[in-house]
Amino acid sequence: MSGPASVPVMDEQLTAAPLVPWELVVWDDPVNLMSYVARIFRTYFGYPQETATRLMLAVHNDGHAVVATGPRETMEVHAQAMHGFGLWATVREAGE
Amino acid sequence: MTGGALSVPFASIEGRHLIALVDDFIALLDAPRDTADEALERLAPDAYPDDPAAAEEYRRGTRDDLVDQRISDARTVRSALERFETDAGADLVEVPRAELDGWLRTLSAMRLVLASRLGIDRDDGHDPDDPRYGTYDWLGYRLELLVQLADRLDEE
Repeated sequence: MSGPASVPVMDEQLTAAPLVPWELVVWDDPVNLMSYVARIFRTYFGYPQETATRLMLAVHNDGHAVVATGPRETMEVHAQAMHGFGLWATVREAGE
Repeated sequence: MTGGALSVPFASIEGRHLIALVDDFIALLDAPRDTADEALERLAPDAYPDDPAAAEEYRRGTRDDLVDQRISDARTVRSALERFETDAGADLVEVPRAELDGWLRTLSAMRLVLASRLGIDRDDGHDPDDPRYGTYDWLGYRLELLVQLADRLDEE
């Protein structure tokens, strides 16, 4: 991997703090049905069926999966929606 | 995608059984909050398990809305089931697409409450003598059927 050939050097004062993305993590639980979880991922986030199923299986097999990434406030809105659907969701800073 | 309704078959006895469960669920949600109630905790889990301050702020900002949504969802389901109290021949429920997520949230939340009461969230062992397991499994069957019907409607 390499960056652009030429990166303009900006005045430190003008450089915004790096935008650290946040993650919405959904955790496995022994109650929620697999078909239900896949449906929520598909209908709420608008993921294609394959993506929704892959994420559901990742939650099931690995114990958790990062289901969305973005600004913290957005991840909190998603977490509230997931809690509404009964899914066990948490928010964390990416890379934690 | 936005129109249409699901025709969900229900035996009359199932409809009345679900009425009783939904009534219990609404009573639980309406009761004064007992923060020590594990089932209610599971319905509003910690969004920041490693950051108590952020968790508390998130909780303050979302919990009331979450409970209000659950009560509103459950009342919608309850209204749709009313026909089973008056019509002995009722054998299905029409679920408009706009109410579908409310149905899904309600059935899944009631399963979570039962699971918490039964300790299934810790250990998936079934005690065949406890009738609540039958209810838990039946709710799972009803939810699975609803998901299948809804997925099918999306494909049409």
